[in-house]
Amino acid sequence: MASAFSLHFPFSFPSSSSHPSFPKLPLNPSIVTLSATSSRFRHVHHSRRSRIPAASIAVDSPSTSKSDGIENSPKPLLEVKDLTAVIAESKRKILHGINLVIYEGEVHAVMGKNGSGKSTFSKVLAGHPDYEVTGGSVVFKGENLLDMDPEERSHAGLFMSFQAPVEIPGVSNIDFLRMSYNARRTKQGLKELGPIEFYGFLSPKLAAVNIDTSFLDRNVNEGFSGGEKKRNEILQLAVLEADMAILDEIDSGLDVDALQDVAKAVNSLSTPKNSVLMITHYRRLLDFIKPKYVHIMEDGRIIKTGDVSLAKQLEKEGYKAVSAV
Amino acid sequence: MACCFCFSSSSPCPFPLNPTPSLKPHIQNPTKLRPSTPLFSSSSFSDPVVIQLAESLEDSLSGSSSPPSLPLQKLRDSSSLSLLSKSWPSSKDEPFRFTDTSFLKKSPIRPVSAPFPASHPAIPSPLNDPDALFANLAVIDGVIVPSLSNLSSLPNGVFVGSAADAPESLSKRVLELIAGFPDGDLFWDLNGIGAPDVAVVYVPAGCRVETPLHLGFFSLEGTEDGLNGLPVSNPRALVLVEEGGEIGIVEEYSGGDDVDEVKRYWANSVMEIVIGEGAKVRHSYIQRQSASAAHIKWTFVRQGASSTYEVVETSTGGKLSRHNLHIQQLGPETVTEISTFHLSGSNQTQDLHSRLVLDHPRGYSRQLHKCIVTHSSGQAVFDGNIKVNRYAQQTDAGQLTRSLLLVPRATVNIKPNLQIIADDVKCSHGAAISDLEQDQLFYFQTRGVDLQTARNALIFSFGADVTGRLPFKSIQKRVESHVRDLLAARGAVQ
Repeated sequence: MASAFSLHFPFSFPSSSSHPSFPKLPLNPSIVTLSATSSRFRHVHHSRRSRIPAASIAVDSPSTSKSDGIENSPKPLLEVKDLTAVIAESKRKILHGINLVIYEGEVHAVMGKNGSGKSTFSKVLAGHPDYEVTGGSVVFKGENLLDMDPEERSHAGLFMSFQAPVEIPGVSNIDFLRMSYNARRTKQGLKELGPIEFYGFLSPKLAAVNIDTSFLDRNVNEGFSGGEKKRNEILQLAVLEADMAILDEIDSGLDVDALQDVAKAVNSLSTPKNSVLMITHYRRLLDFIKPKYVHIMEDGRIIKTGDVSLAKQLEKEGYKAVSAV
Repeated sequence: MACCFCFSSSSPCPFPLNPTPSLKPHIQNPTKLRPSTPLFSSSSFSDPVVIQLAESLEDSLSGSSSPPSLPLQKLRDSSSLSLLSKSWPSSKDEPFRFTDTSFLKKSPIRPVSAPFPASHPAIPSPLNDPDALFANLAVIDGVIVPSLSNLSSLPNGVFVGSAADAPESLSKRVLELIAGFPDGDLFWDLNGIGAPDVAVVYVPAGCRVETPLHLGFFSLEGTEDGLNGLPVSNPRALVLVEEGGEIGIVEEYSGGDDVDEVKRYWANSVMEIVIGEGAKVRHSYIQRQSASAAHIKWTFVRQGASSTYEVVETSTGGKLSRHNLHIQQLGPETVTEISTFHLSGSNQTQDLHSRLVLDHPRGYSRQLHKCIVTHSSGQAVFDGNIKVNRYAQQTDAGQLTRSLLLVPRATVNIKPNLQIIADDVKCSHGAAISDLEQDQLFYFQTRGVDLQTARNALIFSFGADVTGRLPFKSIQKRVESHVRDLLAARGAVQ
């Protein structure tokens, strides 16, 4: 099914958005129509190295063309090419060649059924030891992400919010935040902040994500409600001032009010420089955090990319309809 | 919450019959033990090691000029009688299945050479450095030392001191209550025979004591090479809080500076706590004995209706450390919270045997036991029994134990058990033994904290989950920094 959407482009990643030549599109006419609307190709399969017939394309919506030709056009933040991964223990293949490029300031959403590999994808990007990358590359801000330990990825500016953040009894939230923030400062060659200085730094962040100070004395995630856990993740994102936020099912287990709160917090942190990758089951989240691109994931691949209308179609017709197109 | 019906295996005979009656000749002078109590005509139950030890304890106290107070006399009488049927426990006895006390048995045990000289100069902190927040009673080698105590901040009507000095009415109450526990083991009885005094803490009805009381139990006498025998002391305390009263006590054991790991001694301590109707006791128990010491301790708590007992324990010291915690419910609607943390390093055994007996309706209890074993020769033992008897309907009892084994071959023996006879109860228990949780480590890493720092933080926080419940900040800080130092010294954190 997914292979019907495979495209093999003979060129490597185009750095200029006004790339003159359209690639030669093979075979599948449905792809051609999809591609024809695009002004540039962002998600390509780099087929010269490997012939794995697993690839996907994603295309820009026409709205991006406004940046065309402008000198300071956005830089790619995250470039994923042909990423394949297995479960470290069982060696079972989970990701079958993911291609995705996210530029500065962009919001992307990855949707898909249970077991399609969405959460695995986010964990692999964060460097989870349960998964082993078997092929492909991930470049983050020009550097090889896959060479980095999880903490180095964090220092580089990548942040993942967990679907089910783990409880850490015995560690207070404020100590955790300070430890985390100071680790990053140390990495940057800056002096660590003491408890009082840190509190000064933290206060405005609390307000920004609408979190009560009583949160700080509680143990990390211990006894937190679903909404509190998610807001706590966003607080960490705010503290670490990450460039790229991967939000893994930030909407799961939340009622509409809580979801609105969390979304508001995420939106309040957005700048023209930082990007968001949301992983979700439901379109509802996309009403609150508006993505530029929606990717549909199936069987460890991105099988379709479009704008938010894709999510609407998905909601109306289900994954089956979308993947059959 | 899940409802578990978990029955422990039945205990073996509490005093196994000794198959070798030929031990009798070893009893050098049986009449000396309890002149007023006839020995069993056949002393086949008696264990010569035990009798010898009991006699030496008795001898050590006979030199005292003044006759013992009535409560103390009662204690000695009942303990002597009970001791005759006890033998030294072995691994065949269920309560000592995993806790090897044979090194103690083989040691040349001798009573401390009390009395303690009142003007001894070398009393380390915190006994001579009481926090201004606390009232303080110093007990050295089982003997109350008024010159090192400071009780001036306690309200009127509260009595803290020797049973011998208690007013008559209180003395009567103490007499009624003391040694009110029928199920004590050998060590309970030995304490009753060897205790030179009973430290009494009395809170009258309706009196809420705002000043926490620090009970500092210090082992002064000790040897470094073991050649001069192993001195044993038997501190004894009784805490009595009448109806509606309230007090926070900090019971702390030490044998010197924190670095003093070679001093050998045996502290064999007993505390009885009686909590009246609607009364509340917050009990902090801190055991930081020398790593070469033996520490055996009984805590027997009786809880009246609607009373609250909260205990937070941190045990880090001792080559052998055993805490027997027995809580008996005397009326309905009691609240019991037990939080314990044990840290076991090289050649250390940390043992908690806890038992909560619920006989009345609507009791609420929560128990959390945690232990860390940092060395392959370290061992932790936990036997946690909660008994919900026929009339204890609508009991809400929860028990959780977690063990962290940081090195290969570190040992933990865990026996959490609920015995439920009532049919309308909510009970849960859980036990987990693990290395550090990968998920937690990864969570730290994704937030920029490297693996080693994350490990350190998680190891420390594992215990801080319990030590964080210590109700007095200054004590909590001191205990946590002690735990941190020990973890660092033992290479558990880097």
